[in-house]
Amino acid sequence: MTTNKDHLHLVGADDGDREITSALRTLYAAPESDGYWTAFEQRIMDRIAKGEASDTFWYVPTQWTRIGLIAAGFAMIVAASLLLRQRAEERQMAYDTVLGQPSGGPTLAIRDAQTKEQATINYIIGR
Amino acid sequence: MTAIALRPASIARPGIPMRRVTTPDRPDDEKGLVLAAQRGEMEAFSELVRRHQRRAYAVARAIVITHEDAEDAVQDAFLHAYRALHRFLPDQAFGAWLHRIVANASLDITRRRKVRDADELPETVASPFRDPAESAELRTRLRDALAQLPVRQRSVIVLHDVEGFKHAEIGQLLGIPEGTARSDLHYARSALRRLLETFRNPQ
Repeated sequence: MTTNKDHLHLVGADDGDREITSALRTLYAAPESDGYWTAFEQRIMDRIAKGEASDTFWYVPTQWTRIGLIAAGFAMIVAASLLLRQRAEERQMAYDTVLGQPSGGPTLAIRDAQTKEQATINYIIGR
Repeated sequence: MTAIALRPASIARPGIPMRRVTTPDRPDDEKGLVLAAQRGEMEAFSELVRRHQRRAYAVARAIVITHEDAEDAVQDAFLHAYRALHRFLPDQAFGAWLHRIVANASLDITRRRKVRDADELPETVASPFRDPAESAELRTRLRDALAQLPVRQRSVIVLHDVEGFKHAEIGQLLGIPEGTARSDLHYARSALRRLLETFRNPQ
């Protein structure tokens, strides 16, 4: 159990605590050899170089991916508009095919028709 | 320790060996190094690594369990620092900024390793560079006692008693209020005393 006095009782205040502090410093001692630190510095710089290289590796595809996404988006817009246009043309061709029949009963209905929709209905009824 | 300062102007010219000038460690030199590093001069950053790696290791070592993890944390931290260098204001203290990054990297490693499972404290907690004259038994007991402390308390006592950081600095490093750092230090000391009581008073 500790008391409030422990707040003021710092490690190092008696021989036992000094011993503990000394042992702590031994346990946590950093390497002293200059050779170690020179090699460690080199490892850090190598790690940074590798990190930068890997960043560049990812950065380049990211740039290309961005360009690719923009191109794909543009292509989709173009394709969609072409598809819509094609469908409109097909629809128009279907009407033209039906309305432009030169012979047969249904043509009478077409002649009398006021609108394309009415002509279509007349064609169906007249068959 | 004698610091080696670089002249940033000489760093910028590729192909020319760098000129190293032995000078006392001055903040102005460091600001120049930081500015040069921010311009992309790797040798300037290398000099910053040279100057700060020992202290960075000490900060990391106080937080993680093993020497190897401390090395990893320092390498991670310098990589983070390099990447974030453009956001660093050169008028600030580079060391303090770096130490916060080191502490974060160390805490990250600690979380990943789940070192709160203190039973797994390996033998490598002891530095391979320790003084052989120290009491082996005390070291063993101390190692066991430290293993029973929460990570934050262990970090605080090591940063304070071994590395000499002040409470406020420890608070900044670990992202805790200064008062918490003080109380952690108190509890860590009390716990160590209690855990080592039998060693110190065998009766």
